[in-house]
Amino acid sequence: MNGDATRSQLAAALARVASGDRAALRMVYQDTSAKLFGVCLRILNSRSEAEDVLQEVYVTVWRKAADFDSSRASPITWMVAIARNRAIDRLRASAVSRRMEPLEAADAVSDPAPAAVERLASAQQHQRLARCLEELEARHSGAIRAAFLDGATYEELAVRMSVPLGTMKSWIRRGLLKLRACLEG
Amino acid sequence: MSDADTIGPADGGHLIAAEYVLGVLSAEERREVERRLPHERALASEVAFWEERLVGLTDAVAPVTPPQTMWPQIEATIGATAPGTPRSPSVWQSLTFWRGFGIGSATLAAASLAALAYIGLVPAARPPLMATIAGSSGQPNFVAAVTATGDSLVVVPAALLTTDPRAIELWLILPGPNQRPHSLGLVQPGQPIKLTIPPELAAQLGPDATLAVSLEPPGGSPTGQPTGPVIASGKLTNL
Repeated sequence: MNGDATRSQLAAALARVASGDRAALRMVYQDTSAKLFGVCLRILNSRSEAEDVLQEVYVTVWRKAADFDSSRASPITWMVAIARNRAIDRLRASAVSRRMEPLEAADAVSDPAPAAVERLASAQQHQRLARCLEELEARHSGAIRAAFLDGATYEELAVRMSVPLGTMKSWIRRGLLKLRACLEG
Repeated sequence: MSDADTIGPADGGHLIAAEYVLGVLSAEERREVERRLPHERALASEVAFWEERLVGLTDAVAPVTPPQTMWPQIEATIGATAPGTPRSPSVWQSLTFWRGFGIGSATLAAASLAALAYIGLVPAARPPLMATIAGSSGQPNFVAAVTATGDSLVVVPAALLTTDPRAIELWLILPGPNQRPHSLGLVQPGQPIKLTIPPELAAQLGPDATLAVSLEPPGGSPTGQPTGPVIASGKLTNL
C-alpha cells in the first residue's frame, strides 16, 4: 500500500472513530499500533511503561478523534504527536527512576511484517528533512535526532554527550533555526 | 563560533514550539506551552509545523507489535466512554503496580482447580465458561468461571494484587457492536467471591463475552460505568 492511500484511509477511519465507530478504531489500531509502540518504547525504554502509554494513546484517539483536522495535519503526524507527548510526560514524571541501560526493548521481537504505516512522512517530505539535516553540523543534527527519538531534556543530552548545558542548548537551537529556514525554503 | 557560544533567551524564545515538539523541555515548561496553545494561534501553528516536518525522524524506529492483550483492554476502556467525553487524566494511574507480584503457574493452576471444583458442585447444565483475566503483561490476575446454572460467576484471585485503596470492580461486556460494560460487582484481591449475574445478562452470556476489571472509588463506580483505569481483561471461553 502506498503512503498516500494509507494516509487517506487512516483519515477516513479517524472520521468514523469520531462518530463512535469501534470497528474503525480497531482498524486504526491495527495499522498504527506497532509503529506507535516502537516510538513509545524508544522513549520510555520500558515495556510495561510503554504498554500503559499505548493504551492511553488509543483511548485519547477515541476521545479526541473529532478534534483531528485532516486539512491541517496528516493522521499519522497527529497520532505520533499524541504518543510522543504522552510518553515524554510519563518519562518526565519518572525521571528519577530512569534507567540508562541498554534498551530493554532490544530483545523484543521486531515486527516481521511491519504494519501498513511503516514510513510516516511522505517520500518528498522525508527527503527534504534528510537533506536539511545533512546541511547541519553533524553534532547539531545528531543532538536533534537524539532529542526527538529519546525525548531527552537539554540536561540529559549535555550529560550524554559530555558538553556544558549551554553548549547543548546552543547546538540544538542553532540547528533548529537553520533547519527551519531550510525546511521552509 | 566556539562550542561555548550560547543563544540568549530572546533568540531562544521563538523556538519554544520547536523545543516543545523536540521534547527537550522540562515537565513545567511543557505544561506552560500546553497552557498557551489553545490561546495562541501562532504558537499552535508553529507546533504543527514542527510536528509535521519532524515526524519523519520516527522512520528510524523499528515497529514492535504490542502484546495481544492490549486491544481487549482498550476496547473495554472505551466501552465506558463515548467519544468526546471529557475525563480527567488523573484517573490514568499507572498500571505498573499491578505487575511485579509474579505468580507461578502452580498458583494459577490451583486457582483454576478451585474454581472448577466449585462449579463441579452442581450438575452441569451446559459447558462451563471460564476466563483468565490478565493485565497487559499477560500475567493473570483473576480466574473467573460461570457456574453450571449460568446465573452466577465465581471469581478467584490468581495473583496477589495491590495495596491501592480503590475498589476493584468487575465488568461484563457482551460481544457485538456498541456494547456497554455492565457491572457485576466488586471483587477482592485476596479472596474468591461468587457474584450473581443479572438474569437479562445471564440469558445472553456465551463465549467471547469479555470480563474486565477497573479501579474505582470505594463502593464502586458512582456512574454505573467504569471511571478508573481498566487494569486487566479476558474473554470467556467454553472449556
